[in-house]
Order: sequence, then structure tokens, then C-alpha cells
Amino acid sequence: MGGLALGLFIFSVLLSFLGYELPTALIWADVIVVLGFFGYYTYSQKIGAYVTKRLLEAGVTLFVIATLTFGLLRVIPGGPFDEEKALPPEVKASIEAKYNLDKPIYVQYGKYLLGLAQGDLGESYKYLGRPVSVMIAETLPPTFQLGIFSLIICYLIGIPAGLIAAARHNSWVDSTAMVGAISGVALPSFVVAAVLILLFSFEWSLLPAALWDGPTYYILPVIALGTRPAAVIARLTRASVLEVIHSDYIRTAKAKGLGYWTILFKHVLKNSLIPTLTFSGPLISGLLTGSFIIEFMFAIPGMGKHLIQSVTNRDYPLILGMTLLYSAILVLANLIVDLLYSYFDPRIKLDK
Amino acid sequence: MSKYLLCAFVALLAVTGCKKKQSADYGLNLDETFRMHFQTEPPTLDWTKSSDTTSSTVINNLMEGLVTYDLNSDTLELQPGLAESWMSNRDASVWTFKMKKDIKWSDGVAFTAQHAADGLLRLLDPKTAAKYAYFIFGIKNAKPYSTGELKDASQVGIEVVNDHTLQITLERPMSFFPQLLTHVPTFPVRLDVIAKHGDTWTEAGNIVTLGPYKLKIWEHDKAIVLEKNDTYFGRPAKTPYILGYIINEATTARNMFDLGRIDAQMDLPANELSLLKERKEFEDQNILGIFYFGFNTKKAPMDNLKVRKAISMAIDKDEIVKMLGGGQIPLAGWIPKGMKGYDENMGLKYNTEMANKLLDEAGYKDRSTFPRITLAFNTNDNHKRLAESVQAQLKSKLGIQIELRNEEWKVYLESLQTDPPHIFRLGWLADIPDPDNFMNFLLSDSDNNHTNWGNPRFDELVIKAASVTNDAERMKLYDEAQRILVEQDIPVLPIYTMVETMMVNERVKGFPANAISQMKFKDIEITN
Repeated sequence: MGGLALGLFIFSVLLSFLGYELPTALIWADVIVVLGFFGYYTYSQKIGAYVTKRLLEAGVTLFVIATLTFGLLRVIPGGPFDEEKALPPEVKASIEAKYNLDKPIYVQYGKYLLGLAQGDLGESYKYLGRPVSVMIAETLPPTFQLGIFSLIICYLIGIPAGLIAAARHNSWVDSTAMVGAISGVALPSFVVAAVLILLFSFEWSLLPAALWDGPTYYILPVIALGTRPAAVIARLTRASVLEVIHSDYIRTAKAKGLGYWTILFKHVLKNSLIPTLTFSGPLISGLLTGSFIIEFMFAIPGMGKHLIQSVTNRDYPLILGMTLLYSAILVLANLIVDLLYSYFDPRIKLDK
Repeated sequence: MSKYLLCAFVALLAVTGCKKKQSADYGLNLDETFRMHFQTEPPTLDWTKSSDTTSSTVINNLMEGLVTYDLNSDTLELQPGLAESWMSNRDASVWTFKMKKDIKWSDGVAFTAQHAADGLLRLLDPKTAAKYAYFIFGIKNAKPYSTGELKDASQVGIEVVNDHTLQITLERPMSFFPQLLTHVPTFPVRLDVIAKHGDTWTEAGNIVTLGPYKLKIWEHDKAIVLEKNDTYFGRPAKTPYILGYIINEATTARNMFDLGRIDAQMDLPANELSLLKERKEFEDQNILGIFYFGFNTKKAPMDNLKVRKAISMAIDKDEIVKMLGGGQIPLAGWIPKGMKGYDENMGLKYNTEMANKLLDEAGYKDRSTFPRITLAFNTNDNHKRLAESVQAQLKSKLGIQIELRNEEWKVYLESLQTDPPHIFRLGWLADIPDPDNFMNFLLSDSDNNHTNWGNPRFDELVIKAASVTNDAERMKLYDEAQRILVEQDIPVLPIYTMVETMMVNERVKGFPANAISQMKFKDIEITN
């Protein structure tokens, strides 16, 4: 089941990277297989009660977030229809009537919750006549693409780099990798992006400097976004591997006469991934909901900008929609990470 | 085994069901396409509801109003649009518009005066909740209709006389009324199309228009493609396609321009202006917009006329403009350069000696007794530089210390409404190239007058000028009103006329820069 999920996922990512539109059926197949995997995993590990509890908690968390956000929006100064050219009271009144902003706050809140229960996130105040759910559905794919590609780069570079650095502890390999990692951690993504554009677009005319229309367009933003977390992962992995390498069971494995690489990959690596896993929760949600700056710099039609601009515009429904989506992804990513803990380190028990 | 089967099945399904995404240039021929960028996704293409410049730019190419501007004339004279002629009764309170015949919408339906009336009534309808409804409150019974007080639309002063004639009755005389009909929200609409598609009537494929271009593709947050409208009644567009990418970041757009991916860029990154100005593609155009400081005339010490005068005379506008480096034009009067009524020989002149004398007379001979006043602006690099320059000037020239305060845009707007600071920065962009548009927002009861200042004589002059049909007589009234603002009462301090800077690739001829910022692309030619 896990293999199937992984295979399908890799296949989808590859297809998407090559600039194909993913058919809806494939996206659903991905979702079903991933859910199926976690269902199976939950069942086989007998952690059904734990998962149910966590899911219920997630629901409560989201409800609290929706309520708090709703309340905070009414408290912050400046309303959605305050503009440079002030609207006359008559005009403002009809606009507020249209969006129910003239009703008492509890009525607005009730209507909002009622809509939410039916999956209706309301209509944007800024982009007239556009349902928030449609806006999210349209801007989510580029953001997810950017996020998933970057995530894969992070793991593909970060974990091996950390592992090798630790395996060759205090050698030139270690020093080089760590100098690279520390530079990577220190460099904000927009600096990396600017340098990449300067080199690859202007100096060497190899890759486009902006837009989002196929493999050549994906490379620069993905590297720019992925560099920093890759560096963090490399450092985490190295530290963790160094710790594990000196543990008793590794000494036992060595004493049994197991090969060096077998020990490294089978015994050390798996047990060293816990810190990386912890870091992955926020990382996944952070990358999936997009980096505002990278999307801006590369004119990627993603939803990162909505997350920021909706607040500037006081576009209440869009702010609420984006906040809920971000929270849901964060909560889910953390749940998945927690579930994976016991996979990587069976000593961790989840049922409490 | 079943695993592999499933895999193979999904793979097959995926490959057969997959299609490549459209390429970035939508397969358009480069020689037939003008490529540009929009700074934001257009908030709406529903022209009745639109209120921003990006939406207007797109709509101005899809649609046309009853009346339009001759964008080649410096004074932006009116010229026929959908209407071939218009005339008013003697006191300019009833206006009759005769429509051109044989105009067809892009779906083949004939354009009639009813569509024009529908457009105006829809703008007023409270259910539309259009921001610019107030724009035509001058029409008889428009205001009560827009609040829902008056339900009967036939009592609004909009009458369809016949298929080709529209008569509009105003509440009071208004000499510049036809100008209002150049403004996007007043454009005619097709109620049948709107009823059929609801909110999605503005999507490509649904929208029906009658301008020089048709909406071919609108990929939200990504790009817009316009295609030449072959049934357009006017002079046909010279370039068959317009491709506009939505690029929020000015630096990114500049990259695209430098790499030859777009042909023109309208908002240049402010911090690169000094470099870009040296390039041959650089162009600038003064626009009908002003940057000014307002004084809260009820907040001590700004309630003292001498203090307001002293501060106004101690600020060197030339120095500010030079520091900003965007080609802005120092403004002495209230009406911007390029508009009727502009006069550079008015206002208080920069004179530090006089300024110091005035401040002494105001009772602050000992400068340390001058209260700490606040200059507020909305968070923005340019505004900050400007505010810091004013702060430095006032300190060195008057010896007074002012405090700077910046606020996020919406917070700032609320501050202006509730408790305007001593000095605040604001801008005003013309909706129409008429002085009334600049004068009437400082009337004592205007929602846009944050100065707490009012002058009955000023109100009288501005209201009277709106109804005067003789141009010379009108300008005399505005002249007096302007002098009240910048010489007598000083509730405001105009700083400069705004200038738009842009870069245009050499392969583009006929780029439509003009003072009212109406970007009409139909005269653009692509040469190679």
C-alpha cells in the first residue's frame, strides 16, 4: 500500500513537473491512495482511537481559529470599503447591505458558520463576484506544485548531504557540506532568487526569469524556495546521525559484522530522521501554502499573495478562507508527521 | 500483482487524459501581439462595479462610452463615442444624446439607447452596490433611487426617447455632464447577458462587448488576452492581439521587459528610476493627479493660519521633487498641470524669511515652545522619503521639530476619518479632466475633506462653477476658489503634479500615454 501511494505520488509529481495538466481522476486517485495508506497504517498499528481523537481535535482547532479570526477582523482598524476616495454614506450603505455587514455581528457570525458548514466560504470583497473557494481552487495548483517540488529538493539534497557529512565526520566533505549548509540557512530565499535570476536568466540566458508554464519555469523558483530548508535539513540530519552513530545498537550492528553502508542506510538513517520529521510539519505546510515572496518575484499565479494581500485589502471572506486553509494544512501535516514518528522509531508509542 | 495492475491502469489513464498546459505566450504570433503587464489581477471586468485603474484599462479596450476623449489632444477634448452628438437645454440641466446607428455588440445584437439607460440605472441600483454610484447622483432622483428610498426607476431622470435617443434630466445644471459618460462605470450594459450568466458574465466566452477588442482569455491571476473585434464600429485596432501578464512586482516586470518578454512596463520600480531614466525606452507623462498635504485646521497649532502659512512657505517643493527623482512637477495651485484652470503663478512662494516671521508672529518666537506636531503618511518608501525631507526642511529652516508617523493603508484611512493628524499626506487622481473633480472634494460637507476646514465662499464658488457653461467665466470662478485654498486659508498644501513613468520597447509605435491614464491599445503598432 505504501509503495503504491509513493509510486503514484512520484508519477503525478513527475507528470506535473513535465508541464502536463493532471487529470482530475489522477488527483483523486492520489488522494484516495494516500488516505487509504493512512487508513491501513492506522488499522495495522491499532492507533484508530488516537487518530480519531486527533482528527476531532483538529476540527475543534479549526473552529476556534475561524472564530478568533472572525473576531479579530472586526477589531482591527480599517474596513474593506475604506478607500482613498471616501465613499458617500449612501453608497457605503448599499455595499454593506449586500455583504450583510449592516447586520449585528452575531448574525454575521452565524451566517458565516452556516455557510462554512455547507462548504461555502463566501465571496471576495475585492475580486467582485468571485467565490473564495473558486479563487483557492484556481491558485492552489501552482502553489502546491512549487511547494511539492521544493519539498522533494529539500529531502533529496538535505538528507544525503547531512548523512554523508556525518559519515565523514571532520573530513573535508563534512566541512564543505556544512559551510554550504550554514550559508544556505543564512541566505533568505529572495536573495537566492535574485542571484539565480541574474545568473541563469540574464548572464547565461538559460532559464526564464518569471511566469509558471513548464519545467524550465519551475527550476529557479523551486531552487530559491528549497535552498534554505534543504540546508536546515542537512544540519539536522548531520547532528542526529552523529548522535545515533555512537549509540549502542550501532556498535552491536558493527560487532555483528554488518557492512558499513548497510549500517548507515538501514540502521542509522532511519533512526536519525526524527528531528527532520519534526521540522517537516511546519515545513510542509509552509511550502504548500507557498512563499509569498517567491511567488511575487517569479510572478507565479499562486495563492501566496492572497494570504498577504487579502489582509491589506481587509477582504474578510478571503482572509478567513486563506487562514482556514493554512490552518487545516498545518494541522494535517503535523498529524501526519506524528503518525510517521512511530514508523521511523517504533519506540515512540502513539496511543496515549 | 493487483498493485502493478492498478499502477499500470492509472498510468494509462493519466497519459491518455493528459494534455500539455498552454504555453506562456498562448501560441500568439509575436508580430501581431502587444505584450504588457497588469500590476494586479483586475478586481472585476463588470464595468458598472469597477472602481480601480487595472479594471478600467481592460474595460476601456473592450467597451466604449457614449462620449470619449480625443486622447491625441492635449486638452482631452470630448469626441463622439457611441453617441454621435449631444446637446443640452439652455441652462445645461437636460441633456439629449443621439446614438450612432449600426453599432453591434460582439454577439451581433444591435446597440440601442436602452442599453445606455440600463447601464446608468444598474449603476444606481442598490442591489448592484456599485462604488461609483455617486458619480451620477447629479441625475434627477438618482440619489433616492440608489438608497432604495425611491423604487420606481421611471422617476429617475433617464428617459429612452427612442432606440437612438437618450434624454437625461439633472437635479441642477451641470455644464460638464457629458464628461461623466466617459467614465467606465457609466458604460451601457446588456441586462440579458448579465441575467443569463450571473456573476460569471464577465468571463471570456460569456462577456459581450462592443469596443475595439474582445476578451479572448482570462486566466485569473495569470494573464489576459484580448483579440481584435472585427465588428467594431470605429477605426479598427491596428494590433490584433493584446497579451497582459499579471505581474504584481515591479522589479519582476522590469526583468521581463529587459529579457524581451513584455513590450511595455507602466509602473517602474521607484528605487531604479534614476538608472532607468537614462535609457532610450524610458518615457514619462504627467497625469491629472496631485500629491498634497492636508492640515487638520481644528488641531492646535494648525488652527492658526499663520502657522499653516509658515509651514507652507518653508517647504521647498523643488527640492522634494528633485529628491524623488521621478520627474514630478512642483505644484503651486490646486489644479494639476494639464488640466483647465492650472496656473503656476499662484500660491505662497517658498520664502524662509517670511515663514520665520510668520511663525514669530504666531507667538512662537521661542521655537522651543512650538508644540510637537505629527506628520502622518501611509507606509510606503516614497512617502517616507518625502516626509523625512519635509521633517529635515522644517527643522533647518524654521527650527521646529515634527514627528513622523506611518500607518498601514486601511488604518491610515480610518485615522483620517476619525482623528486626522496635524499634517497628513494624500493624493487625488482625476476621474474626469474637469476642475470640478478637484475642487468639489474640498467642499465643507465632502467626505474627502479631512481638514475640518470649510469656507462658505469657496463652497459657493465651486457649486456655482459647476453649472456655468461659459468656459472663461467658469475658470474665473475656479481661479478665485483655488486662491482661497492656496493663498488665503491654506487648509492644504499641494506638492506636485503626478507623473507616470514607463518603458516602451522600440518595436512599439503609438503607445497611448495620456494625462487621464486611459490606456487604449487600438492605435498601437508593432514594427520590426
